[in-house]
Amino acid sequence: MIESPLVVDVAFWFFGVASVVTGGLVFRTDSMVRASFYLLASFVNVAVVLLLMRAEYLSLILILMMAGEMAIMAVFMVMFMMNPAGLNPMNMVHQHRASVAGGAVAFLALGGLGVFARFPDRPAAPTGVTVALGEELLGDSMLIFESAGAALLATMIAAIALASTRGRYGDADDGSDAPALDPDRPFGDAPPEPASPEPEPSEHEGHTGMEGMEGMEDMDHGTMA
Amino acid sequence: MTATAWWGAILGVGVAVTVGAYVVAVADRAIATVVAGEPVRWSVLAGPTRSVALGLVQGGTTTERPDGPAWALAPALYLGLAAAALAVVPLSETLVAAPIEGGIVLFGAAQALAVIPVFLNGWSSNSILPLIGAYRFIAQALSYEMPNLLALLSVSVPASSLALGDIVASQQGLWNVVRIPLGLPLFLFAAAGLAFWGPVNFPDGADLAGGTQAETSGMHLLAWRAGRAAMLVATAAMGAAAFLGGWLGPGLPGWAWMVAKTLVLLVLLVASRHLVGRMRLERYVVISWVVLIPLALLNVLIAAAVAL
Repeated sequence: MIESPLVVDVAFWFFGVASVVTGGLVFRTDSMVRASFYLLASFVNVAVVLLLMRAEYLSLILILMMAGEMAIMAVFMVMFMMNPAGLNPMNMVHQHRASVAGGAVAFLALGGLGVFARFPDRPAAPTGVTVALGEELLGDSMLIFESAGAALLATMIAAIALASTRGRYGDADDGSDAPALDPDRPFGDAPPEPASPEPEPSEHEGHTGMEGMEGMEDMDHGTMA
Repeated sequence: MTATAWWGAILGVGVAVTVGAYVVAVADRAIATVVAGEPVRWSVLAGPTRSVALGLVQGGTTTERPDGPAWALAPALYLGLAAAALAVVPLSETLVAAPIEGGIVLFGAAQALAVIPVFLNGWSSNSILPLIGAYRFIAQALSYEMPNLLALLSVSVPASSLALGDIVASQQGLWNVVRIPLGLPLFLFAAAGLAFWGPVNFPDGADLAGGTQAETSGMHLLAWRAGRAAMLVATAAMGAAAFLGGWLGPGLPGWAWMVAKTLVLLVLLVASRHLVGRMRLERYVVISWVVLIPLALLNVLIAAAVAL
């Protein structure tokens, strides 16, 4: 059924137009969360067009990557924008002149590429596209992709290292253990000095208090469920 | 694919989703009765039909200025993604709705996309407890996605293929649950997060008075619950195909083995709701990133060693 040229044509136009429309809606909507999800809808429509070109693996991987990325993007925008939970309406378009110029240049460049570039004429084989892609990634172009991968990995590790160090609200993993029951020791603060001079370092004292809580915590959840 | 096979595949997935959701609902009630120490009666079979009837006649609720279209889309999208994930899992050597080259990638894509409807279901209602549930689920999803995908990918290494048919066929001599021992536990723990079920139910937890579904009722709630049940079925079916040898087995026909293995994993997942207490989200995130992702990477290495 999907082999029928009519079905492919109709599907191409439907999803192609849908990707442009949802892409445009990114700038027309008044919410950061909706803007992110319109962008995701645009990507999913592009992925369906890729599927029509028999680039099955690329199409699925595009959805897989973009879904997580757009969710993260929505959360980060809400966090940075001082907009409670992204619920308040706000204008999604800024710096009008620069964006219009940038958009026009990008449209002309990509449109010119689409019109004047010479694309290969041979249709893709019905099967084996994934294998061919894998051989390209780990064969002829391995050096490029592997160096890009190593650079990205280094960036990620550096970003995590920067984000996970001690900030103004305490350690990054604060709250992953149950707080101590001791009322004199507020949650997240450094443990107080021991009353009697003991050889034990004060760092470990906080942990023993947290470990003692574990049984209590489970009981608490048991009654709740 | 002919038009008949096309419609047959769509019908088959619809039947699988409906029957699967019913089985989850019955198993959930039956296990709750057993855990409570009461005898299981036959009436447990009729329980889900009563819930469905109630959902059909109950009116819908609304909140102050919700995002109506997104809210209505959420349960439908979640149910549709569960159906898409289920469609790639082969019932037997020949019976599969979507026999595609990258079946395991489609399952991963459906799983990644499932973050969106759960978030939308909570965010769109413009209400505080569902909103907290929505944001919780993003933290949860980012934590389970990596171990889950890595656990799934490990089975494609010895099979040298991303197609589920090849992955099942590669387990002819030895099932992946023995060959790649860390895979199934990692997959099940992470995949329970996909349906936010039992000990990992953070977005719809009791502490949020129902979380993302707190403001819903009627058809909406019914579709939402059906979607979660269908996602559990898709997870169990994928676990059975990827780790328990799918249709392989002596005596019985292939589809019977596949159904039996799926049921075993399904009961295991459903029972976790009644036997294991709910974790704290902070601890879940730390365990996922610090323990499960390294274990999943080790699991991929084991799979590569097996393939060599």
